[in-house]
Amino acid sequence: MAYKDFRDFLHTLEKEGQLLTISDEVKPEPDIAAANRALNNLGDKTPALFFNNIYGYTDARIAMNVMGSWPNHALMMGMPKNTPLKEQFFEFARRYEQFPVPVQREETAPFHEVEITEDINLFDILPLFRLNQGDGGFYLDKAILISRDLDDPDTYGKQNVGLYRMQVKGKNRLGIQPVPQHDIAIHIRQAEERGENLKVAIALGCEPVITTAASTPLLYDQSEYEMAGAIQGEPYRVVKAKDADLDLPWGAEVILEGEVLAGVREYEGPFGEFTGHYSGGRAMPVIQINRVYHRKQPIFEHLYIGMPWTETDYMIGVNTSVPLFQQLKDAFPNEIVAVNAMYTHGLVAIISTKTRYGGFAKAVGMRALTTPHGLGYCKLVIVVDEDVDPFNLPQVMWALSTKLHPKHDAVIVPGLSVLPLDPGSDPAGMTHKMILDATTPVAPDIRGHYSQPLDSPLGVADWEKKLSQMLR
Amino acid sequence: MHICPRCESNRSEVVSKSPVEGAWEVLLCPVCMFTWRTSEPDSITDPAKYKSAFKVDPRDIPNAIHVPLIAERRQDRS
Repeated sequence: MAYKDFRDFLHTLEKEGQLLTISDEVKPEPDIAAANRALNNLGDKTPALFFNNIYGYTDARIAMNVMGSWPNHALMMGMPKNTPLKEQFFEFARRYEQFPVPVQREETAPFHEVEITEDINLFDILPLFRLNQGDGGFYLDKAILISRDLDDPDTYGKQNVGLYRMQVKGKNRLGIQPVPQHDIAIHIRQAEERGENLKVAIALGCEPVITTAASTPLLYDQSEYEMAGAIQGEPYRVVKAKDADLDLPWGAEVILEGEVLAGVREYEGPFGEFTGHYSGGRAMPVIQINRVYHRKQPIFEHLYIGMPWTETDYMIGVNTSVPLFQQLKDAFPNEIVAVNAMYTHGLVAIISTKTRYGGFAKAVGMRALTTPHGLGYCKLVIVVDEDVDPFNLPQVMWALSTKLHPKHDAVIVPGLSVLPLDPGSDPAGMTHKMILDATTPVAPDIRGHYSQPLDSPLGVADWEKKLSQMLR
Repeated sequence: MHICPRCESNRSEVVSKSPVEGAWEVLLCPVCMFTWRTSEPDSITDPAKYKSAFKVDPRDIPNAIHVPLIAERRQDRS
């Protein structure tokens, strides 16, 4: 089911009625961001947008919202576009278990068509634009960045492929935000300990499987390329960078090669973030770009990010939930049923579990806090029974409203880590966390009146089938 | 030289011009790194109309928090 490259996926979206081309002239600001914000307000089945007539440009082409809905997410996985979300979650989890699938190496790639090493000017090469009104500049926010572990360069999985926001701060200069919980911060630290620049490569306009893997909170030594192979069901194609021992996604539109400058911090931001707040201005590392190559007439892929839900939430919803699901299953293989960590990248996580004995659900919640992703997220963990669908919020609210006793079931753990972008953290990066146990008490926890749960009239399943056929 | 709408330094420079001549220019402030396009709404391009909550005082820039902190050089690993 693998998509050959970014354009191949766009063709699929077009064929499936999930790509809307805007041929009327639009201004780079505020039209493109405004159109995307409006699109995100229109529900969870929206198409991607393709702009080909942008004021002041002659041949710029911009694709946005490429994975900004559940149908587009299903198509990314090669599934029918109307696949229900819960089914997408379990299929993603099934493929996740096929990891690792070794990469397929290539000598050349389509992006070798045009190469620039002199007088690089990213403002001329890419049709950059502002997203939100308070943003400090123009950003790359759907590019993947590749870097290698300097202490252990031969362990393939420690090569990192990650999605980080990067502000274009000069003709060949980017600012990057490396949140301490993310792998790139480890590589930058290793390079600065040596007093060396860190070689990096940046890929724009990638087919969505690698973007998905890059935004999945994998374990540090798990390869995103080998996970992309697992998700697409065949080896992922890579080609070597020219200035460093780094693998690049074969199907990208544009590649930037450069280095993070050791010991340099420069003002960056603010940027409207997935938390629905601006990040604030901070001194961040700087990347100098030394080489650019791209396809002829490259398509610039970008995403609108801001108050949820936006493309970001669809892109990191299922793939954030699945690693938590797997890591919790490692600890409690017979109990964990499903995990929904789709809300603000898992700052809220909902876990459906069986309970072995009284107090068990609280232990499940505490384990979530100590998973690698939980260390930076999972500020509020809601634990529900096995028969509650964590993707069905009315069911979750029912569980909270009827199963939870605040005296016994609200647990606050003080002084834990969270990503510094959480606007409620104080100081940035520190927070209390809360577990809400909305499971039914079981012995020896004998609280409440739960011996008479409501059942359904006999024959409901048959009627569901019959009525759904009549309603078609 | 142009006035930066955000930090009001007078050191901003043109970094790009529209491929269609005369449509717009992109400017960059080397003090606060603010970037803008001349065709943007005046709430972005005009220092007097730029939102006060997002203004930057150049004196605060050297004190901005480092994220992440610069790692100490380790002599034994060079």
